[in-house]
Amino acid sequence: MKPAGPLNFVTEEEIAAPPRFEAAPARNGVRFLAIAIFIVLLLLAGRAVQLAFAGDPLAEPRHQPGVAVTQRADLVDRNGVLLATTVRAYILTATPSRVWDAHATAQALLRLFPELDAAQLERRLSDKDHDVVYLRRGLSPDERARVLALGLGGLGFTPEDKRDYPQGTLAAAALGFTNVDLEPMAGVEYGLNRVIREAGAHGSPVRLSLDVRLQYVVESELARAALAAHAGGGDAILLDARSGETLAMASWPSFDPNAFASSPEDARRDRVAGDVHELGSTIKPFTLAMALDDHKTTPDERFDLMQPFLVDGQAITDYEDIRGMSGLREILAYSSNRGAARLALRVGAQRQQYYLDRLGLFAPSSLETGRRQPAIAPAVRSLRDVAGRGFGYGLAATPAALAGAYTVFANNGQRVSLTLLARAPGDPVERTPVFSPQTARIILDDMRATVMQGTGKAADIPGLEIAGKTGTAEKLGDDRTSYEEGRNFSSFAAVFPASDPRYVMLLSLDDVGQGGAGGMTAAPAVGRIAERIAPMLGLRVTRAAR
Amino acid sequence: MRRALHIIAAIIIVILVVGLYKAKSDASKARAHVHALERQIADTQADMRALRAEIARLESPEHIAELAAQHTALQPGRAGQALPERAIDTALPPPQMRRASP
Repeated sequence: MKPAGPLNFVTEEEIAAPPRFEAAPARNGVRFLAIAIFIVLLLLAGRAVQLAFAGDPLAEPRHQPGVAVTQRADLVDRNGVLLATTVRAYILTATPSRVWDAHATAQALLRLFPELDAAQLERRLSDKDHDVVYLRRGLSPDERARVLALGLGGLGFTPEDKRDYPQGTLAAAALGFTNVDLEPMAGVEYGLNRVIREAGAHGSPVRLSLDVRLQYVVESELARAALAAHAGGGDAILLDARSGETLAMASWPSFDPNAFASSPEDARRDRVAGDVHELGSTIKPFTLAMALDDHKTTPDERFDLMQPFLVDGQAITDYEDIRGMSGLREILAYSSNRGAARLALRVGAQRQQYYLDRLGLFAPSSLETGRRQPAIAPAVRSLRDVAGRGFGYGLAATPAALAGAYTVFANNGQRVSLTLLARAPGDPVERTPVFSPQTARIILDDMRATVMQGTGKAADIPGLEIAGKTGTAEKLGDDRTSYEEGRNFSSFAAVFPASDPRYVMLLSLDDVGQGGAGGMTAAPAVGRIAERIAPMLGLRVTRAAR
Repeated sequence: MRRALHIIAAIIIVILVVGLYKAKSDASKARAHVHALERQIADTQADMRALRAEIARLESPEHIAELAAQHTALQPGRAGQALPERAIDTALPPPQMRRASP
C-alpha cells in the first residue's frame, strides 16, 4: 500500500545530530575566550618588549622637588665646631580644591605664622585656578608637625633643603648667608662658593680658620666698645700673622643669618673686608718704616716737633704739642702728625706709593668673602697729599687690608696674605717682602713703647707685651669736601707678644663722636680681648700685675 | 614532526618571554628597593645634620654663657688666674693629713 502523500525520510545520523541553530553560541564562547587569551598574551608581550628595551619607568628614582641636587658642604671652624649646615625643611603647600574653608584655614595658619600676609594667604587658598599653591617656605620639622596637628584638609608639604647657621649671630658677617634656593648671597658662602660645592659633592666639610671661642670674645667686646662709644658701626679682626689665618672677624651691629631678611641691610654688611675708611694714625708705623728702610732717617735722629711745619702753605698740627727733642719712638708713641709728615716728604711720592702697594693697602684683601673692596686712592698731586698719606689721610682702605699690612711686624718685614681657610702645618704661605727685618724690629719696639707710655696705654696687659698704634681719623662730611671734627673713625692695631710677635688684632669704631679717640675707645677693647683670649692662645698674663 | 618542532619552539619562546619578564620585574623591584634605601639614608643623614646643628646651637659660647648666668654663679676664669705648673706648690695650700674615719 502506498502512502497518501509525499513523505520526508531522514537517516539515523541526522536524527542523532543536534539542530544547527543550537551549536552557534558554544562556538562563539570559544572564540571569545581565544580572543581574550590572545589579548592577554599581547599585553604581556608588549610589557615584555617595553621592559626589554626601556626598563621599568616606575623603578626610576623620582627627584623630590625642592631638594637641591648639589649639596653645599658644612662649614666648620678650625676645631671642627659646626658653623653652617644644610638641613631638611618643608614648603607648605595647599590644594585649593580640597580646602574646605579658606578663611578658617588662613586664620589657623596665621596663628602659627603671624608674619604671613592674611589677605594674600586667603586669596591663595581660594585660588581654584591652580592645582597647588605655595604658602610658606623653610618650615622646620617642628613647624611641619604643628601644621599637621591642626588637622586641616588640603594642606601638603614638599621637602626642600635649607641652610642653617647654628651659631646664630656669631661670625654672621664673615659666614654670610644663602637665599632660600641655596644660592650664596654674602660672606664666605659667596666667596668660597665653588669650594663649598666641591666639598659638598665629596661629602666633606670646609674647615675655616675661625675659632668660635675667640670669635665670641671679639664680638662681645666689640659690641661693648661700640655701645660705650655710641659708634655707628664697628669691626674687628684677629689674625695668626705667621700663617695669615683669620682667627676671628666681626662686624657690629650683627644679624642672624637664619633670618637675614628681617635684618636691616646695614647690619648684614661685612665691614672688615667690605668697608673702606681713611685709616688715620694707624698708618704711621709704615711711614716711619719707609723712612728707615730708605735711609731717610736713623733710629737716633732727633726732631723738634714744636716747630710749626708748613706744607704747601698749610700748617700740619699735632693733637697735643710734644715738647723737647723727639726721636722716632716719640713720634709714634705720641702720634705726631708733624713728625710723620716730615718723614713722608723725605720718602717722596714715588717710594711711598711703592711701599703702600707692597703693603697691600691699594688692593682688595685676599679674604674669601663676598664684599672685597679695593682702596680709594686719589692721585697724589701735591706735597700736601704726600704728607697727608704719611699720617693717614688721602687713602681709604679696608680694615682687612690694614690688618694684613701689620703682619710685616710679625714676619721680619714680610707681609702675609690673609685667608679664612684653615691651613695645615706646612702649607705654603704667600709672603711679600716689604721692609728689612731690622726695620720691622725697630718699629715693633717703638709700637711697644706706644702701648707702654704713649697713646695706647689702655691696651697694655702685663705679660702679653702688646705693641700697637692708635688711630683717629676725622670723617668726611656729607659734602665730601671737608672733614667733620665731631665724627671720627677710631681704631687700634695691635701686634703681640712683642718679644715673639705672632698675632695681629685690629679693632675699629666708626662714626664715633668728638673725644672718642682710638686710644680711649678702641685700645681698651683690644686690651680686654687680649686678656680674655690669652689662655686660648697659650699666652700668659702676668698674675702679679693684675 | 615539523608540527611538534613548532610547538616546542613556541613553548621555548613563551618560556623565554616569561623568564625575561620575571627577570626584569625582579630587577625593577630590586632597583626600587635600592632607591627606597637611598631615600632612607638621605632622610637619616638629614636627621643627623639637624641633630648636629642642634648640638652646635646648644654648645655655642653665647648659649653656654646665658645658661651659666641664669643657673650658676660661674664666670670664665680670668687670664691672670692661670698658674704655671711650677707655681702650683707655692700658690696652693699644702695638703693636710686627716685622720681616717672609722
